[in-house]
Amino acid sequence: MSSLIMNGNPFPHPSQPFIISPHRFQSRSKSQMLRRLPVRRILILACSLASLLLFFFPTISTFAGSSLTSSLFRDDPLITTVHHYDLANSQGTGRGWERNERVLMCIPLRDAAPHLPLFFSHLKNLTYPHSLIDMAFLVSDSKDETLLLLNTLLERMQNDKDPYMHFGRIEIFEKDFGQVVGQGFSDRHGFDAQGPRRKLMARARNWLLSAALRPEHSWVYWRDVDVEIAPPTIIEDLMRHNKDVIVPNIWRPLPDWLGGEQPYDLNSWQESETALQLAQTLGEDAVIVEGYPEFETWRPHLAYLRDPYGDPDLEMEIDGVGGVSILAKARVFRSGAHFPAFSFEKHAETEGFGKMCKRMGLSVIGLPHYVVWHMYEPSVDDMRYMSEMIQARLHKEKEQQEKAKENNNKDESDRMAEAAAIAKAEMEAAKQKELSSSSGESPLQEAGKETDPLEIYNSPVYFLDSVKAAEVRAAKQVAREIEQARKEAEKKAKEAASEANKDKKDGKKVVIAKDDA
Amino acid sequence: MGAYKSSRARNRPLTIISIVGAAIFFLVYLLSSSPSTAKVTKRPDASVGGAKSIIRHQLNGLSASWNSFENKERVLILTPIARFYEEYWNNLCNLNYPHELIEIGFILPRGREANQALLRIESAVKALQTGPKKNRFGKVTILRQDFESPFSQSEKDRHALSGQKERRAAMARARNSLFTTTIHPQISWVLWLDADIVETPATLIQDLAAHDKSIIVANCYQRYVEHGESKIRAYDFNSWQDSDTAAQMANEMGEDDVIFEGYAEMATYRTLMAYLYVPGNDVHEEVPLDGVGATALLVKADVHRDGAMFPPFPFYHLLESEGFTKMAKRLGYDAFGLPNYLVYHYNE
Repeated sequence: MSSLIMNGNPFPHPSQPFIISPHRFQSRSKSQMLRRLPVRRILILACSLASLLLFFFPTISTFAGSSLTSSLFRDDPLITTVHHYDLANSQGTGRGWERNERVLMCIPLRDAAPHLPLFFSHLKNLTYPHSLIDMAFLVSDSKDETLLLLNTLLERMQNDKDPYMHFGRIEIFEKDFGQVVGQGFSDRHGFDAQGPRRKLMARARNWLLSAALRPEHSWVYWRDVDVEIAPPTIIEDLMRHNKDVIVPNIWRPLPDWLGGEQPYDLNSWQESETALQLAQTLGEDAVIVEGYPEFETWRPHLAYLRDPYGDPDLEMEIDGVGGVSILAKARVFRSGAHFPAFSFEKHAETEGFGKMCKRMGLSVIGLPHYVVWHMYEPSVDDMRYMSEMIQARLHKEKEQQEKAKENNNKDESDRMAEAAAIAKAEMEAAKQKELSSSSGESPLQEAGKETDPLEIYNSPVYFLDSVKAAEVRAAKQVAREIEQARKEAEKKAKEAASEANKDKKDGKKVVIAKDDA
Repeated sequence: MGAYKSSRARNRPLTIISIVGAAIFFLVYLLSSSPSTAKVTKRPDASVGGAKSIIRHQLNGLSASWNSFENKERVLILTPIARFYEEYWNNLCNLNYPHELIEIGFILPRGREANQALLRIESAVKALQTGPKKNRFGKVTILRQDFESPFSQSEKDRHALSGQKERRAAMARARNSLFTTTIHPQISWVLWLDADIVETPATLIQDLAAHDKSIIVANCYQRYVEHGESKIRAYDFNSWQDSDTAAQMANEMGEDDVIFEGYAEMATYRTLMAYLYVPGNDVHEEVPLDGVGATALLVKADVHRDGAMFPPFPFYHLLESEGFTKMAKRLGYDAFGLPNYLVYHYNE
């Protein structure tokens, strides 16, 4: 009734006569609309409430979404031999650490004992929840104590007092593939060795993956042990891009006299026309390897595109990937992509993996300005040059000392020596301080500093720094050579002395003989 | 005025309830906001840790040999399954290789039809794994694939040439998902057995393994009834020896084109193993093959470990099991078939 009266007159009064104003159109107010349709009103309220609830308590959706099939698709706790996995739950998203997505970390090892302590310090620092990381090591053809050291370090890590330091399932696989070439830098990076070597490494990677990959893994992270510096957030940083396959840029530090730093991993590249034409001229089993003058491919390399001040999140489409640090969704490997141990489109191993992913229509991305630092392993030539440099410096210092000695008076020499000793001690103390404070700096800056390699020989700090370590090795070698030279000189002197004695005796004998005669 | 008031008053209970509700909700949200955000960023539970979580596997001593039976070698039977046939399951259970050495992996597509199959698998598996101990399989893994299958499963659709590429590619992905997640270091052999293989000799595994080949496939036939008479006919044409015609065709094709076997539109003149069957001849006669079908296919696990998979993309103009053969060959393995050793496909 009241609605009738209200029609046309917003403020009706019962004492007033019945008024209709048909000439004025009045749209119905919203409240009236809602009152007329109480069902819709309730619906809207319910929907908004539900959406609010869902927004604030996202866990509810798991209860709501559990349909008939997913309730069926569960393990029966009484039957231990039957397991169910919905692979849709392990597809991998950009925010895996919030969604409890498991990462399988694959680490191929061969004669890697010297690198393990540093690698474990990297592991400890990883910010991705450790319990979500499963690790798989493949130890192949190792002649050093890799396996023993690995076991010790793993046990120490898994028995850490802080439970958040513990990783998930850890598996160590031992498999020897028979080695084609040695693991020294010059062996590994010679041109002729590349094809067979890459195919062998591809086999090793495939064995590791097929043995370790499980349905619950959402991501696979491939990592080499000989990485010197990597951001502890690296898994999240790469994951955030939510790509099928993604790699950072890999550089390595160098001694000052070689330029301080250098692009290392040339296996991440974009395909070029020249390379495609080159590929057509090669036989079925040929493997194009990047970074050798034998194959001029003119490909844009991820490594050379680095700008130290560039945006670390900048993405670049690539066709070949390097193996130092690859993050890939597990579904990439589940759908069949692997590291070809044969020539796939004229490529093998990680480069072939990139090519295969592209062929399967997956996204393969490189980050040109996000850098991981590989270790510096000096070549034989580098080592020789380094030891020559050290010898030259030692020689120079000796000359200077002798000169200083000659210049000094005998009276002053005692006092001068005392003063020099004090100055030296002070300098050493200062250097030690510098060392301890600068240990967190970039290896490049540290490498640039003038330090006496013979002095740093005893300092463990330098063993975290591959360039310094190489210099130490060179210094050790020089020291050994000097020592040997000294010993030889002594020996010679002794021999000369004994010879002289003999001569004397012989001389005497001769004299006696003469007398007899 | 009174009428107006009363009309408002009639509205009140609902509005008051909603306003009060919203206010309470807002307050609750404000008060609980800090813990609830903390919940999101909360670290996942720490794992157990300890030395127990470290497992060592020796992959060097793995063997896959002709006397698999005596060496106690573990066999992984893999089946992509969209429809469940009782005959398939019974045949599987009748295999007389020791069941504790057999592990089974199923992969199901997403969808209604597959859910029905799942229900039946569930009950069958449950009945077996809770039954007598000697009949139980070592392990059963049931996966559901993470992508949509483009194909419908009717017999006619399945064999039309137009949809073959998508169908075989999806099948390849399903197979890859299955073996990459279920092969573990103790597995010596992988037996690919299709869900519509309803009859095999009970000694299938031993018989195939006895040949000690990296890849070996049985000949797949189908039983049918004609004029009241039971007959058999060739079914799987994916096992073949290459021909010059096919090689020529491949040369002239674009990179993404695929050669399929068994279609009149695409005469390849390959030697098909299906037609090499001679009744009464030695069942252990071997023929080398360039392409294999995966209906009843025994593969040494090392072949898969080395990287041979079922290409979901045209690999030398081949897909799935035929592409797998090519890839295995590139890795240095050879494939063989047994033309007189028959297994039977379901007939609908």
